[in-house]
Amino acid sequence: MLRVEATSRVGPLGLDVALAVGAGECLALAGPSGAGKTTILRVAAGLLRPARGLVEADGETWLDTERGIDVPPERRSCGYVFQDYALFPHLSAWQNVAYPLIGVPRRERRARAQELLERFGLGAHADARPQTLSGGERQRVALARMLARSPGVLLLDEPLSALDARTRAGAARALSAVLNDVRVPALLVTHDFAEAAQLGDRVGVIDAGHIVQEGTPTELAAAPRSAFVADFTGAVVLSGTARSGHDGLTLVDLDGGGEITSTDQARGRVAASVFPWEIAIEPVAEAPHGSAQNRVLAEVLTVTAVGNRVRLGLAGPQPLAAEITLASARALDLHTGSRVAATWKAAATRLVAL
Amino acid sequence: MRGWRRFLWFPALLAACLAAALLFLTLPVVAIFVDRSPAELIDSLGEPGALDALWLSLRTTAIAIAIILVIGTPAAYLVATRSFRGRALVITLIELPLVLPPAVAGIALLAAVGPTGILGGTIEALGIELSLTTAGVVVALTFVASPFYVRQAIAAFAAVDRRLLDASRTLGASEARGFLRVMIPSALPGLAAGTALALGRALGEFGATLMFAGSFQGITQTIPLAIYDRFSTEFESALALSAVLVAVSGALLLTVKLVAGAEAMGGWDAADTRAAR
Amino acid sequence: MTRILAVALALAALLAVACGDDDDEGGSNGSGEGGEEQRLIVSAAASMTEALEACASDFGEAEETEVRLNLAGSDELAAQIRQGVEPDVFAAANTRLPDELHDEDLVAQPVEFATNEFVLAVPADSEIKSVDDLRESGIKIAIGSESVPIGSYTREALAKLPPAQEQAILDNVRSNEPDVKGIVGKVSQGAADAGFVYVTDVNATDGALKAIKLPAAVEPEVTYAASTVNGAENPQDAQAFVDGLTNGPCAQALADAGFGSVQQ
Repeated sequence: MLRVEATSRVGPLGLDVALAVGAGECLALAGPSGAGKTTILRVAAGLLRPARGLVEADGETWLDTERGIDVPPERRSCGYVFQDYALFPHLSAWQNVAYPLIGVPRRERRARAQELLERFGLGAHADARPQTLSGGERQRVALARMLARSPGVLLLDEPLSALDARTRAGAARALSAVLNDVRVPALLVTHDFAEAAQLGDRVGVIDAGHIVQEGTPTELAAAPRSAFVADFTGAVVLSGTARSGHDGLTLVDLDGGGEITSTDQARGRVAASVFPWEIAIEPVAEAPHGSAQNRVLAEVLTVTAVGNRVRLGLAGPQPLAAEITLASARALDLHTGSRVAATWKAAATRLVAL
Repeated sequence: MRGWRRFLWFPALLAACLAAALLFLTLPVVAIFVDRSPAELIDSLGEPGALDALWLSLRTTAIAIAIILVIGTPAAYLVATRSFRGRALVITLIELPLVLPPAVAGIALLAAVGPTGILGGTIEALGIELSLTTAGVVVALTFVASPFYVRQAIAAFAAVDRRLLDASRTLGASEARGFLRVMIPSALPGLAAGTALALGRALGEFGATLMFAGSFQGITQTIPLAIYDRFSTEFESALALSAVLVAVSGALLLTVKLVAGAEAMGGWDAADTRAAR
Repeated sequence: MTRILAVALALAALLAVACGDDDDEGGSNGSGEGGEEQRLIVSAAASMTEALEACASDFGEAEETEVRLNLAGSDELAAQIRQGVEPDVFAAANTRLPDELHDEDLVAQPVEFATNEFVLAVPADSEIKSVDDLRESGIKIAIGSESVPIGSYTREALAKLPPAQEQAILDNVRSNEPDVKGIVGKVSQGAADAGFVYVTDVNATDGALKAIKLPAAVEPEVTYAASTVNGAENPQDAQAFVDGLTNGPCAQALADAGFGSVQQ
């Protein structure tokens, strides 16, 4: 269990957060740049001391400004992955991984580092310098290095943002595997809500130093508490299997039933995404009309007003969120339990290989 | 200016400047080796004073460099990684001996730690003798050469990606360990460059040494002083010693750069730019 | 493009001024109007520093010439002349160097113009009273290096002492300085307890040092000689300067500093 509370003011940025992450759980903090995400991680790691704060991990107090406790970073059991991985350029991959193994005899250090690297599929690169490795390989070395000391808390700073889109998928898988294996609290920050949704069990949206809403990704997408959250939580993500369709389009068989079309090219396991404001709602009874190719039947779970818009949380074969005007919502008389058809264009459907 | 002439004009100027600089810098050095025959030069090296001077120069420079590295490196690290009030002043003070002419450096040393200087009495009371001794030579060399190293070291440490140090701490290494295992290796090319500069300065030091420690064969007469002593009456000997100094300096320079690794060859820090990628 | 040209022109102008500076002097010493400014370069032994600095401008005014003093150990000055440097006048602290250069056809017939007294210099409050006291172990002595006149006079004098005494004193030598000023500096600073210099150097310290005379049997004869340099740019003024060392403002300045006159 990790508890972090911090209040601070650094220049124009005022930080005021309180969060808790359970063992084996990953809390993903998502927010725009400058929102204070990295600051929270640094406070947790001991690299930054807030004006007032509290950090507790596994029963140990690492920081308590009121009682004057401030345990230095090297004595906190944290695993920290930096945005650019901060691998030591003058050391080889295995030496990087072995760096935290202080006091361990030399032969054993190499063996344990090798073992860790092999777990991440990098056994062959043990003697390579970080500069010669690809972005994805470097990310895995950073993860291996972080785990060498069996940390009690994981802190991840934008773990995927340094990677190109193609590598990101594989890296996300590796990271998810790690998060599942290591049953410790994990705190992850990112500017990409989709990444947060994919990796986090819970997501906290952070803006200007405050956590404005916290919950599962679906909850946030379906019932955003503010326009900011609504805009930030972005796309609906559906998983399925893609195959080739007519006219050069791709058909995706959704997990749980249903089929949608996309103009993107992909095959095999994919994540299909579409933005809530591109989803239109129609009564089920109506026959499909217009150019929108995708049509999914769903039941309305939540109706949340956000300014002059309405966010609908829909239960279909997979959870969906749609955003329509208040006027339209009234016109369609939508409420919990209404059965509707969610439609959107194939051209608005993005596919990402999983 | 049309077409090709416009394009060639600037590069030609650059090339001309480089040629002039190279010529100016290398001709005197080459002249040392070419003015007399190698046989004559080697002969005059044999006399005992020459070997004494060489050995003394190497000993005193080695000790001075050792002192500079041991004390200057942590000091430079502190200045480079912490901000504190008066930091700019501290840096200026460290750099001051750089702009002092050797004679002024000699006067300064005398005024500070000479027999009649500020600390002269204290030093004498402790039983330490500095003037006219080899220890005095080491003091003079350390004084004039340390800014060359410390300045480079500060720049080198400041250029290291701070996140590497953060990473080191989150991985369980104390700040001291991070300093030794991450900071120094990362800054090595810059440290090597600074060491090379300090080495050259110390080997060639003349004015401050003469004023502060005097000139006596085997005790305080380093190669530069020996050259000065000989040039009016034994020019061959002076030439030979000069040639030795150039050769030794060149060899030491090369060794330092090789030790620091291939990145040092270029002269600029390459390691830190890679770490960021 | 125009900017680069402008910078280049400025640089060239700067260079021209720097190089051309040697050749035309405008109004430094005295006579500014009418005749061209002549220049006289005098290479003189360091021991004559104070005396010549005092009389140089007087001489310069009288002869409508700017006097430039080049002061260093006589051996160094001789070496410069051998290497092709051409001052107008060479004045040394011994007769050997001018004679050597004359034999090598580099200077005209030397003229002896002054004598000096070779003494032992100690701090004014020193307990050393004579050359004998220098034998004590722990005493630190500064002397001139072998090639500079003060150094050869010193070794000449010490050689006239009983061998045991000579050796004991030489064992106490801690520095071979390139010129008298270095010796004076070491003794004044307290780095050396004693040094062998000329009485004129002790006079110049204005009481900080005191001079101890040597026994007559040991005292070397110190004679200064000067001559004009062959190929000098300003032979007329050069000759006038050399003459003036025995008879003129500089002769007076030398006497004031403590130099003796030559027995003719």
